[in-house]
Amino acid sequence: MASVGVNDKSAPIRIEVKDLRKSFGAFAALDGVSFTVQPGELLALLGPSGSGKTTLLRAIAGLSPAEEGTIHFNDEEATTLSLRERRVGFVFQHYALFRHMTVFDNIAFGLRVRPRRERPAESEITQRARRLLEFVQLGGLEKRFPAQLSGGQRQRVALARALAIEPNLLLLDEPFGALDAKVRKELRAWLKDVHRETGLTTLFVTHDQEEALELADRVVIMRNGRIEQIGTPSEVYEEPATHFVCEFLGNVSKFDCTIRDGEAEVAGSLFPVSEDNGLNGPGVAYVRPHEFEIVIDEHGEGLPATVKSVRPFGPTVSVELELAGREGPIEIAVPRELIGLGDVQPHRTVHIRATAARIFAAG
Amino acid sequence: MQFISTSPRLANVSEPLTVRFLLLGLTLVYLLAMLVLPLGVIFVEAFRKGYETYAASLLTDDSIAAIQLTLLVTAIAVPANIIFGLAASWSIAKYQFKGKSFLITLIDLPFSVSPVVAGLIYVLMFGAQGYLGPYLQAHHIQIIFAVPGVVLATIFLTFPFVARQLIPLMQAQGNDDEEAALSLGAGGLRTFFSVTLPNVRWALLYGVLLCNARAMGEFGAVSIVSGHIRGKTNTMPLHVEILYNEYNFVAAFAVASLLAFLALVTLCLKTALEWRYSGELAVSRGH
Repeated sequence: MASVGVNDKSAPIRIEVKDLRKSFGAFAALDGVSFTVQPGELLALLGPSGSGKTTLLRAIAGLSPAEEGTIHFNDEEATTLSLRERRVGFVFQHYALFRHMTVFDNIAFGLRVRPRRERPAESEITQRARRLLEFVQLGGLEKRFPAQLSGGQRQRVALARALAIEPNLLLLDEPFGALDAKVRKELRAWLKDVHRETGLTTLFVTHDQEEALELADRVVIMRNGRIEQIGTPSEVYEEPATHFVCEFLGNVSKFDCTIRDGEAEVAGSLFPVSEDNGLNGPGVAYVRPHEFEIVIDEHGEGLPATVKSVRPFGPTVSVELELAGREGPIEIAVPRELIGLGDVQPHRTVHIRATAARIFAAG
Repeated sequence: MQFISTSPRLANVSEPLTVRFLLLGLTLVYLLAMLVLPLGVIFVEAFRKGYETYAASLLTDDSIAAIQLTLLVTAIAVPANIIFGLAASWSIAKYQFKGKSFLITLIDLPFSVSPVVAGLIYVLMFGAQGYLGPYLQAHHIQIIFAVPGVVLATIFLTFPFVARQLIPLMQAQGNDDEEAALSLGAGGLRTFFSVTLPNVRWALLYGVLLCNARAMGEFGAVSIVSGHIRGKTNTMPLHVEILYNEYNFVAAFAVASLLAFLALVTLCLKTALEWRYSGELAVSRGH
């Protein structure tokens, strides 16, 4: 990928958000949000709908200011800057391309609307727009209208248009939300390339945990207008700070348990705890599918469970089991070589054991 | 064999052929009798005594004055309602506030009020015996039985047309495009003229056409506020009525044919617009 040459001049900026608050009526969309984005970082804002992630992104962009709190771009207070002065490259969820303009005019728009003394000459605008089109791999499509493009192509135009203004930072609202699964995967890898190439401090909003964990340097997990946890993908996955994070980051089984001396007792079976946080007494234990073992011996240790279904596709075998006295099945992923498929059949009773569990106080 | 077996089933979904022809025929006969023939009669009557009489009756001072007044009133009412329509639809589509649905209902008021009532309202407000009458008289401002009254009544009756076309379209389009333009550094005016306006241009044009047709053809309200002063406050529809009441049929039909012609032109433009931009217009009439 050729260098865009649009962001060489300035080093990527640091963003510092402090105690941001905003409410819509009685609903607190942002309830005291503080965090720092390191220069050049690719950060995901992850959360369910209504968690405030888009509100946060729009506040940083200046599209809908927060009521309280400060946002700094390096050492400059951004809340006092106008939208133009902020120079934020914003990519909208539905792209918001100007439908009556060609791809080329869309990309050139941000340069053409500059005040005369800052505006590059038309020949330079043309040159820069061409370069951006090549950069987003859409060379030759400059005369098309947005309606004549596929979803993925529109997304690329939207990104090129945002990059044209030589932004201080890049913000993307659900960048892959409106695309089908295949294009989504392609664009994901591509966005990572774009980030590496431009070096821009980049934030994107998503409700797809897989997307966030795969793409981002760090993930901010939000809920009810607050930050639940900030960390690298492996940190938030391996060491979730709250049970919300644990549940939100995908497939996990939840057990009521009694915590005693670094072990969790679930219905008479002991689950080793991955991190002893000094809790004692009643609690909840979370176990991910790959942290279970199946014991075939009918009188063995562990929780007795009835096999509901076996899906032996791919490197791991996914087994659905039912536990006595528990609502809803649990899912277990076992490496193919560790399981004798003949023994794990629907309706058979087996025993399951956890190799690790994350524990939180009950409540 | 399979092809044959499916075709009767397809036909069964629809009505028998005879019913279809009957329905279509009924519609055509009705349209012919109620719309096409009367419209044709206008032109036949207008040219009954030849082209020269037709031209002569259009070129009398009173007729020319009526045509001029109609054009003047339209030239004021249409731009006024473009501005009002844009302002109203912008605020309804892009802002959140209480009483929004009430405002939308209010905009529809001229559609539901009889034009005669609308005219009377203005007489009551600005007439010699009206609320503002004494004040206006003291300052030698005449509204009723003068051109300003005709303009006011026309604006009142035509103001929903542009707004009604724009509101649903702007609501469907949302704020994203404007926000994109602003975040790219465009100012408010620039955003309006290069993003907002182009996004609604066809719906706006469509609204303007409807507004224009109604402005030229309005009779009831204008009839009350104008006072039928020949050469001064007579618009084309009023002039037609006067000529007709004077048994001057050829002249009446001549002016009427001009009005009908303008209406047909509007209709053609409207159809052309619908055909060309059906997608965008569908949004604005989707309710």
